[in-house]
Amino acid sequence: MKQTLQQVFHSGKFIVGFVIFMALLLLVIIYPLFIKDAPLAIIAQGSFFPPGTYVNIYDSINTTDIYTLNLQDAAANRISSKLSNDDREAMKEWLIGDGVPADQIDTSDTASLLDLWEKNYDPQKNIPGMIFAQKRYYQRLNDSVQGILSTEGEILAALNPETGTLEQIGTVNQSDYVNIDQVANVRVLPLGTDNFGRDVLTELVKAIEVSLEIGFVAGIVATLIGLTLGLLSGYIGGWVDDMIMFVTNLFTVIPSFVLLVLISFSIGQEQRGAVTIAIVIGLTSWVWTTRAVRSQVISLRNRDHVNLSKIAGHSIFHIILNDILPYIASYVVMALILQISSAILAEASLSILGLGPKTSVVPTLGLMMNWAMIYQAEILGKWWAYFPVIVAIALITFSMNLMNTGLDQVFNPALRD
Amino acid sequence: MSKVILEVNDLTTKYITRFHEDVYAVDHVSLKVEEGKSLGIAGESGCGKSTLALSLMGYYFPPLHFTSGEIIIDGQRITGMDPDTVRRTILGTEIAYIPQAAMNALNPTRKIINFIEDVILAHDPKVSRKDIYDLARERFEILGLPEDVLQKYPVELSGGMKQRTVIAVSVILAPKILIADEPSSALDVTSQKMVIKMLLDLMEKGMIKSMIFITHELPLLYNVTDDIMVMYAGQIVEKATAQEAVFDPLHPYSKGLMGSIIVPEKGLRNLKLSAIPGVPPNLKKPPTGCRFAERCKYVIPECKTHPIDLRETGEGRAYRCIFSEEYLRKVYQIG
Amino acid sequence: MKGYKKYFLNKLLWFVITLVAAVILNFILPRLMPGDPVAGIVARLAQGMSSSTGMKAVYEKYAELFGINKPLLTQFFLYVKNIFQGNFGSSFTQYPRPVLDIIKSSIWWTVCLQFPAIIVGWIIGNTLGAIAAYVKKGFDKVILPISILIGNLPAFGVAVILLVIFAVDLKWFPTSGGYGFDLIPTMSWQFVWSVIVHYQLPFWSIVLVAIGGQAIGMRSMSIYELNADYVKYARFMGIKDRKIVGYVFRNAMLPQVTGLALSIGTMVGGALVAEIIFSYPGLGYMLLQGILGQDYPLISAVTLIITLMVLIANFAIELIYGLIDPRIKAAQAE
Repeated sequence: MKQTLQQVFHSGKFIVGFVIFMALLLLVIIYPLFIKDAPLAIIAQGSFFPPGTYVNIYDSINTTDIYTLNLQDAAANRISSKLSNDDREAMKEWLIGDGVPADQIDTSDTASLLDLWEKNYDPQKNIPGMIFAQKRYYQRLNDSVQGILSTEGEILAALNPETGTLEQIGTVNQSDYVNIDQVANVRVLPLGTDNFGRDVLTELVKAIEVSLEIGFVAGIVATLIGLTLGLLSGYIGGWVDDMIMFVTNLFTVIPSFVLLVLISFSIGQEQRGAVTIAIVIGLTSWVWTTRAVRSQVISLRNRDHVNLSKIAGHSIFHIILNDILPYIASYVVMALILQISSAILAEASLSILGLGPKTSVVPTLGLMMNWAMIYQAEILGKWWAYFPVIVAIALITFSMNLMNTGLDQVFNPALRD
Repeated sequence: MSKVILEVNDLTTKYITRFHEDVYAVDHVSLKVEEGKSLGIAGESGCGKSTLALSLMGYYFPPLHFTSGEIIIDGQRITGMDPDTVRRTILGTEIAYIPQAAMNALNPTRKIINFIEDVILAHDPKVSRKDIYDLARERFEILGLPEDVLQKYPVELSGGMKQRTVIAVSVILAPKILIADEPSSALDVTSQKMVIKMLLDLMEKGMIKSMIFITHELPLLYNVTDDIMVMYAGQIVEKATAQEAVFDPLHPYSKGLMGSIIVPEKGLRNLKLSAIPGVPPNLKKPPTGCRFAERCKYVIPECKTHPIDLRETGEGRAYRCIFSEEYLRKVYQIG
Repeated sequence: MKGYKKYFLNKLLWFVITLVAAVILNFILPRLMPGDPVAGIVARLAQGMSSSTGMKAVYEKYAELFGINKPLLTQFFLYVKNIFQGNFGSSFTQYPRPVLDIIKSSIWWTVCLQFPAIIVGWIIGNTLGAIAAYVKKGFDKVILPISILIGNLPAFGVAVILLVIFAVDLKWFPTSGGYGFDLIPTMSWQFVWSVIVHYQLPFWSIVLVAIGGQAIGMRSMSIYELNADYVKYARFMGIKDRKIVGYVFRNAMLPQVTGLALSIGTMVGGALVAEIIFSYPGLGYMLLQGILGQDYPLISAVTLIITLMVLIANFAIELIYGLIDPRIKAAQAE
């Protein structure tokens, strides 16, 4: 046993898979110790906030420590963040459409470009061939470039409760800075928020946890059924074998995906918890394990040590437990690993179809994918809503397959290179 | 002295393991096979006899590597020859091979006749299909194989029939020397006899000029081959005529091999069964002295410290032991 | 040919048995669940309907269609009779359009998408796997990890990634649909071109997934065959390496054919999800519509058709396999 483990841990593929898997597991365990938010708590008003650090504006303005930093590129940064190259080109297009000669427009000279813009732009004017959405875009662009070249600060005003008028209480200069550590409320959203306004990372970590649980439950259910049937079929043989193989062959050709859809749909949205889904997946995916276990048992059935045990009058249960199981343990472990990874994929596919676990309790990788698809994150370019999910699924299955290949190479030397 | 068909001088080949260790499975082996003669090679599994066969065929695919020595077949030095020339002009035409497990030696999805076509066309692409068929049919007839085997797939043949088919295919190009690697060990007794009879037939009818027969059953060779070579741990430990090797073995290992099988032959039947205890040494770190020392009944301390050379004793006979012939014969008599 | 006939009859019998079992499952699974299926259907269908007489009429119509008040066995025969007449009822979501009509309009999209994609993926995957096994050093080091990685990406993952790269970012292909939304299906060049353009991304995403899975299997199969005794023997007989490689690949591919028969169900499942990602107007997308609209007749029909397609594909592959592997005939002749 110890030697086998040593061999297993000498396989490079197994180690890589194991390390990836452990890293995911550690993330699932450690992350909730630091971020205690409920995974499905809606924190953002609006959809798909991009990843980044969110600094509270109210707290920044009201901070007691204001620092003045005279940085040379501050003004240039400010302009470029509001007026990108695409915007400049768009402005040029408008101006040309308006009749300004193209050679008079220099998009690299911000001041002259804005000057021309201010003189000519009229939100009411109709440029031929411009659709409504473009018109709106120019209106927004016009708003954002207002005062872009100003060097003045912004005035802070407060309502005087007695007079009912606004009174200046201070100014924020262009060279004023706050230290982010001194702002009371700063929230890092490394993966932004999803369509509902939930923190994607927190949700993702929980989803990995739930998906792994689904995988384990489904894998164990499938492996237990497959192991039992495979042992019975292989060891007892005869009509038991015929019966079991008949059923197994049936479920090999009837696509399990269809069964999954039918059962999940019939259960109904309200009854579908994560565990229920896991069990259903397990119930529809045991055939491969049954086949693998059966063929292993058949090759073992007439080995000397098994015969010896039979002659010694041991019970079937005893023989299976002592003389058969230890020899097929490695195959069963490999089958379990495959079952787990395919169960995670099955859950994801089901959820994309809208037949996954009910949506209000816990997130799963499939549900996150489903939400992202329904809200068209992929078309809107909100990569953080779906890409991390795909990566998570791929990492889980990749690590498990690597472990499996590693095990296979240890136990099945013909495949060694 | 008649013409030498196969001459091997000081051949050494090695396996390189996954952990980059060298294992010398054939260690400075020299041998000669003359026209019309057959040589038996005996030894336990893992003694290097099958590797020797692969090495003779020039089958150097990783992990097996050629190290040194030379192989001369019918006057042509094939060592160092371009691999494609060897394939075209030597393999199958000069030297042929019957594998250990004939069960799986034929491509399961190709009819026998198609495989024969592949073999012949690989050496001469101009032969017509009809000529091939005629040749195959003629050969099968001479060797007593039914013609309809040609149109069958290997799966449709019984074990014995498959082995005989493999033999017939191996000699289709009339090679000068045939290497048979345990051709009969996986078969039942009746098929075994037929296979051996067939091999002897081949020699008699002149379809092959010489033969090397490899087996782990030394006594079997007595009936089949003229000379016998015993291998242990990659080295030759004894060379002798069949008569001498069986009735007057010199090396304690040959003696042990003789005793490890019950032989259904008159005069040999009284030999008692005495399997040699222990296992061959690990060739990753071969012992300095005699490689058989650990398992030898007659071992003395010097055996383990001195490298022992192969000693020639007169007419083609040689053995690798620290003791003299007389001494060995005497101990064996005492038992 | 006697051996093959026996094999054929055997497979045919098996096809019929699985078909019957599939129909039974399709019938019984939804009925095993607690509650009156028709009541659920009517509740959904009658949303916004105020007259109770109207509801009652709808209820009775479906009660009759499903034979709800009769014994289970009678219900089953009614169900089978309906299937044979192609009567799958009316869709709820596209009421009163018959389900058969919806199936007819979507099945060819799925067949024309998945069948070629799986075959092409199978061929490319096996070729790459064989090359990886043969060349080993270098090439193998590149192909194998890539195959494992792609093979581990879920089908929908590949679909989404292709969609984002080639449709959203590069805008080479459209993001969804089977043809331009502004076109009417006719045999015009414009329409055909639109279909071809819309076909590419769903097609290649299924192909890529199939390649990943097949290449890995073919690689280990080829390595196993390359070490087989017949390879060694053929080399000893002076046969050219190229010819031997031919032997090996043919022999390694045969189990891959059976492998395809066994895995086609799983592949179709994945491909249906890929259809959904691209809103491709095939059965997968119809299934999604059915599920979103709680459209029971549509779901039931789509699952049955998918099963039927998989069973037929499976049957066809088995028949071809019997033709190309001589061992089958030999085994049957015994």
